[in-house]
Amino acid sequence: MSLTLIPLLIAALLLASGEQGVDTVQLMLSGEHTVTEHEGAVIVGESTVTIPSGTVVPGPIYVIGGELRVAGEVAGDVTQLAGTVRVEAGAVIAGELQHVAGTLTVEDDSEIGRRTSLNLRNPEETTPGSGILPRASLALLLAAVGYLLARKRPIALANVSTAARAHPVVTLTVGTLAFLTAISILVFMAFTLVLFPLTVLGIVVGLLTLGYGLIGWGHLVGTLLPIRRRGSATALGVVILTAVLSLVSLVPVVGDLVVAALSLSGMGAVLVTYYGVAPFRPEPLPD
Amino acid sequence: MLPGLAPDIRPMNQPGPSNQRWMVAAGYVFYVAVLAAGYYYNLTFVQLGIIDLGTRLVGLTASQVSGLMAGFAVAALVVAVVTGRMMDRTGWSSDLRVKLRILFFVVAGQTLLTVTAPLVGTPVHFIVWVLICSATLGVGMPVTFSLMIDLIPIRHRGAVAAVVAGLAFFTAAVYPLQWRLEEFAPVMSMLMAPAVVVLGVLAFCRLRLVEVWSLQHERFGVGRFVRGAEPGAIRFAFWISVVLMFSVFFIDSLGFLRIIDTPVFIYTSWQSPELGVRLFIGASHVLGAAMAGVLYTVFGRRWLFLWILGLFAFTHLLYTFQLGTAPSGIDPPLSLPFFYVLAVSFYTTLNFALWPDLSTPANIGIRTGLGVGIAGWLASFLSTSLALYSRDIGLSLLEHLRYVNALALLLAVGYPVALYLRRMRALAILRETS
Repeated sequence: MSLTLIPLLIAALLLASGEQGVDTVQLMLSGEHTVTEHEGAVIVGESTVTIPSGTVVPGPIYVIGGELRVAGEVAGDVTQLAGTVRVEAGAVIAGELQHVAGTLTVEDDSEIGRRTSLNLRNPEETTPGSGILPRASLALLLAAVGYLLARKRPIALANVSTAARAHPVVTLTVGTLAFLTAISILVFMAFTLVLFPLTVLGIVVGLLTLGYGLIGWGHLVGTLLPIRRRGSATALGVVILTAVLSLVSLVPVVGDLVVAALSLSGMGAVLVTYYGVAPFRPEPLPD
Repeated sequence: MLPGLAPDIRPMNQPGPSNQRWMVAAGYVFYVAVLAAGYYYNLTFVQLGIIDLGTRLVGLTASQVSGLMAGFAVAALVVAVVTGRMMDRTGWSSDLRVKLRILFFVVAGQTLLTVTAPLVGTPVHFIVWVLICSATLGVGMPVTFSLMIDLIPIRHRGAVAAVVAGLAFFTAAVYPLQWRLEEFAPVMSMLMAPAVVVLGVLAFCRLRLVEVWSLQHERFGVGRFVRGAEPGAIRFAFWISVVLMFSVFFIDSLGFLRIIDTPVFIYTSWQSPELGVRLFIGASHVLGAAMAGVLYTVFGRRWLFLWILGLFAFTHLLYTFQLGTAPSGIDPPLSLPFFYVLAVSFYTTLNFALWPDLSTPANIGIRTGLGVGIAGWLASFLSTSLALYSRDIGLSLLEHLRYVNALALLLAVGYPVALYLRRMRALAILRETS
């Protein structure tokens, strides 16, 4: 399963957990499948799923990748978050067909109960400049938090940035390990549906930790600037850092790796310093 | 400057610093080559090849082979402990030249056993072959693992252990394609023949290189966890480590032997026909080993044990979840073997560095003999035989993995609780005395 599928999977699980009468989820991650009956919700991942002509399945069905071919009948809703949906001639979707993103083909003589579309912009249609506003907003938000942290909790921020600067391998290792295990555990918890609120909480904590780590790096950049005020230096450092990271991410593969390494290292620095509470000191070793 | 290099250990007629530097570096290379090749041999030929030899070529039942494997483990453990004790009593533990000579005979014997393995055709031959194999491996255990105190400074032990684990597992993941004795034996023989020659030269010729190496244990022979610690505390730490490592090896082999029996798991991961998948497994091993090396160096053994137990518990949870919920015909995601190999690389890295760091040159023989013998071999082969037995009595994979999962969860929860209680007791004693 590709990493890009995880946010959509979580979104699909979130939608499924809000659906009445849905207790279980069936995830089709890969391969080709013909669905004639199922219990609970169906999530179509990187697979090809066909509902053959003459069969009725209850739904709901969420498409987050791959392809869904409907030739028979879906009694419930079909929600398309990505991938391809083909509603063939004579097919029936008795519930609602929600199109959020992806390729949707509906034959004229098919029957759809209700059809809605969110009209989100397709990522393929985006231009290099279209992402500037969200990135700038994020940079300003981080800068504002960084400004406050540098003024109110300067030691905590210094602990995080010092750990990231002095122990990059350790912080990257801890950050990577924590990220890999946390993301898997969160997805795993989301599948239970009961623990979904905890998944959301975990994602929020994870994002805050990631942001804190980036502010730590920004603080480090700020110390290099000829600005006396700690708060302003950190805020400007965060803005410069996010701008540089945005530019670096334009470089294919290597750029993404650099951004990931820096983010994970920051995350690791936050974790090894207990969110800045204590400076990180590795266990002393004899020479 | 490399930590092993120090002017006070260099006799007057020895080569200068630049020459000595490469000699110290050559020690790293030698250690990595010996341990990585040895572990690769253990992973492929010994753990999987013997089962294949017994069941497919000799025609024994899985239960019979499982019984023999348990006997094999016990015999190897006894030989390892006796050898380790003898090494310490005679002073061979701190005599590198003697260790190299023993190693030469072990590898030469093992090469002969490897070459003759495909010729074993009857149960009697198989039993004799297994007994000789366990004896040579038992001797080899304390000898090879104790080389770390001669060749690797404390500061670099985590990193070097990571290189050994990563290299052995990466190679095992990528080659050979089939886990059959006929595949293993020629590869091993080709690897071992030149190794015997190199070991012979190092062991029996008077080389300055070996002289430099043989003095290094005076600088860094005393392990990291025994420096400044009370004897009682060291003994406690050692035996707790033995118990924990035994548990980890046991859980691993118990689950793994049944997982690799299941086509939907094995042909989508470790034995996938796609090279990309096998490379992914190998790279994950390298990543896991590198992470473990860093964590071991910076945080010590407790944190690493916590991660290992947590990862194993999570991995088996993933497998049981997959078995219990996924419809048939659906390939399991690669995250399952990914977390499995991460956990395996973690504990293997720890296994290489831990025993030397819990020893001194005076007791490295017995400590590595007991540590590797009980935790590594006895645990692996007891659980291997138990896994074969469970398959033989028809226990389903899901049921089997539920037991493994329960054990893994118990340890993952029990260990931090035990650490917490120990800390609480220490604080209570401190308050009473003050």
